[in-house]
Amino acid sequence: MTRLLPALIALSTVFTLACNRADSAPRGAVGADGQPAPADKTPINPPIGATPGVTSDGQAVNAQGSATLEFRKRVDAYVKIHNDAEDKVPNLKRTDDPKEIADREAALGRMIMTLRAGAQPGDIFAPEYQPYFVKIVQDDFKLRSAADRKALVAELPKTVKIDINTVYPTTLPLETFPPALLRKLPDLPPELEYRIVGRSLLLRDVKANLIVDILRDVVPTIPS
Amino acid sequence: MKTPPVRNIALICGVLALATAQAVLGQQPAPKAPAAAIGAAIDVEPPVAGDSVKFLVIGDSGTGDRAQTETAAQMWKAHAIFPYEFAIMLGDNMYGSERPQDYVAKFERPYKPLLDANIAFYAALGNHDDPNQRFYKNFGMGGRRFYSYQKKDVRFYVLDSNYMNQDQQQWLDKELQSNAKWKIAYFHHPIYSSGGRHGSEVDLRSIVEPMFIKHNLHVVFAGHEHFYERLKPQKGINYFTAGGSAKLRAGDIIDKSALTAKGFDTEQSFMLVEIDGDVMRFQVISRRGKRVDSGEIRRIPNS
Repeated sequence: MTRLLPALIALSTVFTLACNRADSAPRGAVGADGQPAPADKTPINPPIGATPGVTSDGQAVNAQGSATLEFRKRVDAYVKIHNDAEDKVPNLKRTDDPKEIADREAALGRMIMTLRAGAQPGDIFAPEYQPYFVKIVQDDFKLRSAADRKALVAELPKTVKIDINTVYPTTLPLETFPPALLRKLPDLPPELEYRIVGRSLLLRDVKANLIVDILRDVVPTIPS
Repeated sequence: MKTPPVRNIALICGVLALATAQAVLGQQPAPKAPAAAIGAAIDVEPPVAGDSVKFLVIGDSGTGDRAQTETAAQMWKAHAIFPYEFAIMLGDNMYGSERPQDYVAKFERPYKPLLDANIAFYAALGNHDDPNQRFYKNFGMGGRRFYSYQKKDVRFYVLDSNYMNQDQQQWLDKELQSNAKWKIAYFHHPIYSSGGRHGSEVDLRSIVEPMFIKHNLHVVFAGHEHFYERLKPQKGINYFTAGGSAKLRAGDIIDKSALTAKGFDTEQSFMLVEIDGDVMRFQVISRRGKRVDSGEIRRIPNS
């Protein structure tokens, strides 16, 4: 739980700011471009700072906290699948045979894909939490210079196609994930990492080299 | 720029011949390898002391092409004169696919003489590297994406600059508390650079530099930029970029950069480093066997 503390603090800040803006904009609504959504349009995602949730017995709950916990719950569920898959493929220890590494990575990837057949975007990036991801990423990019923003996506060709529950393209580099942004996002267990590809934020399984979830159109458009 | 007193490391570059340094320090030279046996084409100075820490620095090396092979051949030639005991890899250990045959073509074959001579490699991960490389024994990572190890008086910190998460930051802050005489960090992305393509990784800098300063780190090696650059010391820390051991981005060093002390971007290169007491000596050798930079860094005792 202590690992979640920075994220909870960040989310609380976001929540407070969103609530403070409530008089001048639809309550916390954020469009895909990071700007407050016009009043006559329904936001794609649940709005930041929305009315706190209500439990079945009528108790109000903190919307940000429950969204974070939902994301954490889904991450934990994924890690359980990952661990189940690891139990079903040969162990990987340090080896001087690269074939063992490649075979094991592929086998683990296949096993997870099988166990998660039918996985859909948003299975881990919980819909409740998606607006926060969008805001955190877009706010971070707003603070960066044009050169910095460009550098963050410069390593990958623009035509890269990615999909959920598939192998991250093995011939492509991994874009460096900006450490300052990483600090603002909820911490992940070692099995998973965030990555940016184009305008998408990914969750990648490190050992299986697998794309396990995608949140598209998160990163602001970067002029070439 | 104000330099913290504990960080007073004098950098004397390309001025003192290594032989002069040897005389000043009163140290005995290591026996020279039979240079004649490998030809006279390489311009390498032998180490000054026999019991010093001697290592090779390579970065952005895993292409499997002719440039890598020829530069690797010079590394082996250099070993006959400067018998380094281990090699540090600054990332991008393998470009493109990482099939078993790629490990052979992009690492095992070019560096076969070094591997046969039991020279240990300690790799950092670059942005082109699958993190599962950490399980490959020849990369010396022990299954870890970031790790540290010690050679005599020198503590090495190997970071995964692709993904500087909280775990790694906490680990680094703790590990840097070591009482080692020398503290050296290496990782892929340079936090100071005069590269036109990439430049300084300021985001990463904002995270790691305060820790480097707080814990009196002495030297940083990085790759990513496909050239050699020795930077002017920054806040008392000495930075080298050596990401041209196979890849080359010719002419990429920005002219008259205020950061550059010495740059070399017309040919592939690698570094040879010796740490002997309070002195670190370095030399940079090109693909054609020319010494293109050399010098020494003097550590002030108790810093």
